[in-house]
Amino acid sequence: MSAAHVPDPAELASFVEQFVVAVDFQNAVPVAGDTKLADLPEWDSLAALGVIVMCDTDYGVTITGNDLKECVTVGDILGKVHGKKAR
Amino acid sequence: MAAVTLERVRVKGLVCCVPKASVGNLDCAPDKRSERERLVRNIGISRRRICYPWQYFSDLAQTAAEQLLDAVGWKREEIDALIVVTQSPDYPIPSTAIILQDRMKLPITTIAYDINLGCSGYPFGIYTVGSMLSSGGIKKALLLVGDKCASLSDPLFSDCGTATALEFDPAAPPIHFDMNSDGSGYRAIILPVGGHREPTQVHHLIPRKDADGETRRDVDLILDGTAVLNFSTQRVPPALRALCEYAKTPIESVDYFVLHQANRMINETIRKKLQLAPEKVPSTLYEFGNTSSASVPLTMTVCLRERLTSAPATVLMSGFGIGLSWGSCIVQTDGIVMPPLVEV
Repeated sequence: MSAAHVPDPAELASFVEQFVVAVDFQNAVPVAGDTKLADLPEWDSLAALGVIVMCDTDYGVTITGNDLKECVTVGDILGKVHGKKAR
Repeated sequence: MAAVTLERVRVKGLVCCVPKASVGNLDCAPDKRSERERLVRNIGISRRRICYPWQYFSDLAQTAAEQLLDAVGWKREEIDALIVVTQSPDYPIPSTAIILQDRMKLPITTIAYDINLGCSGYPFGIYTVGSMLSSGGIKKALLLVGDKCASLSDPLFSDCGTATALEFDPAAPPIHFDMNSDGSGYRAIILPVGGHREPTQVHHLIPRKDADGETRRDVDLILDGTAVLNFSTQRVPPALRALCEYAKTPIESVDYFVLHQANRMINETIRKKLQLAPEKVPSTLYEFGNTSSASVPLTMTVCLRERLTSAPATVLMSGFGIGLSWGSCIVQTDGIVMPPLVEV
C-alpha cells in the first residue's frame, strides 16, 4: 500500500471499531490500525463479506475481494476506502 | 436494460414442495460450535431441506405441479406448455420438462423444454411462459422452478421444487419486467467440469485442499463469495428502482419485495440500500436456506400465503445470481391460489 494518505487517528479508531463488528469475532482480540489481517484468527471469507458490506453501507464505497487481498493491515483497508472515494 | 410489459397473463396459482428431511448448520462437532454460530449469525441460515437419496428435483416439482392442478381445477388435457427452470435436470439431456410431460400424463401437444438458470430464474420463467400466453395462442401453462442443490457440508443451499400456473386472461393486470445478463462474471458461480470444455475425468473426483484450506473436488460448485456479494448489492437495488420507475409504481406502493434468498448479508444490504421496512421484505433464509430459483415462490408461500390469498397485492419479485443474471417483475396478485407448503 502507498502511504499517500495518512488517516486521521480518530477516524482510524472509529474504522477499527466498525471493522471489529463487521468481522464478528467469536472471542475478543485486540485490533489496531496496524494489526496485520493475516494475524487475526477470523480473517476468513465470512469476515471479508462483513467488511465489504460495512464499507458499502457506512462509507458508500465498493471494496472488492481483490482489494482486500492487497491489504496487509486493517488500516490499509481504510486507505483503500479513501483511495476509492477520491476517484 | 430489458424493460418489458406483458398483458393478458394471470399468475393463477402456486405450490411449493420441499423434502421432509432437513440438516442444521449447527449440527456439527462440539469444537466447531462457536465457529458455526458465527456463520449462522452472518449468513442467517439455520436449517436447510435436503432430498432423501431417492428424491430428485423433478420429483419435488412433479408433486407440486400435481397438487397445483387439483388446486386450480385444471384438467391435464388443458395444459398447453410445461416449462422447467432448473440446473438440476434428471439427465444432462434430454430436457426434464419433456420427461415430466409423460410422467404427468400431459398431452403430447404440450410445449415442453428446460431453461438453464439458477437463482435469478423465477422472473425469467414467468417472462418466458407469459410471452407464450400473452398473444392468446395458448391458454394454460405450468412453470416448474427449483433445484436440488443441498449438500451436508455446504451451509447455504437447500432443496425445493415449485409449480406456478399461468393462464391467458384478457382481464389480467399487466406484469412489468426488468431483466439483465452479464456473462463477464460467469466464473463467480460455476461448475467448472462436466461440460464439453472440461469433461469429467477421474482426477476431478479427488478431494484436494484449496487456497482457503477447504477440501473440495473439481466437480464441486465454485462460488466466489465476495464477487457474488458485490454483484448482488451493486446491481439489484438500482434495477429494482428502475423497474418501479418503468412500471410507474412508486416503491412505497409495493406491498412486498420478495427477493431471492441469497444470504442474510446480501439480502439485508439490498433492503437497507432501498430503505425498505423489514415487514415488506419477507425471508425464509433462517428455516429454509438458499433454495436457488425456488426461493421467491417458496418465500411467498411460507410468509405471505394468508395475505396474498385474502386480498389483492402488489408484489415485486427479484432473482439474481449465477450467470451473472438478474431479473425482476411486478405482479398484481388478486385471489392467487396458494395451498400450504407441501413436504414429502
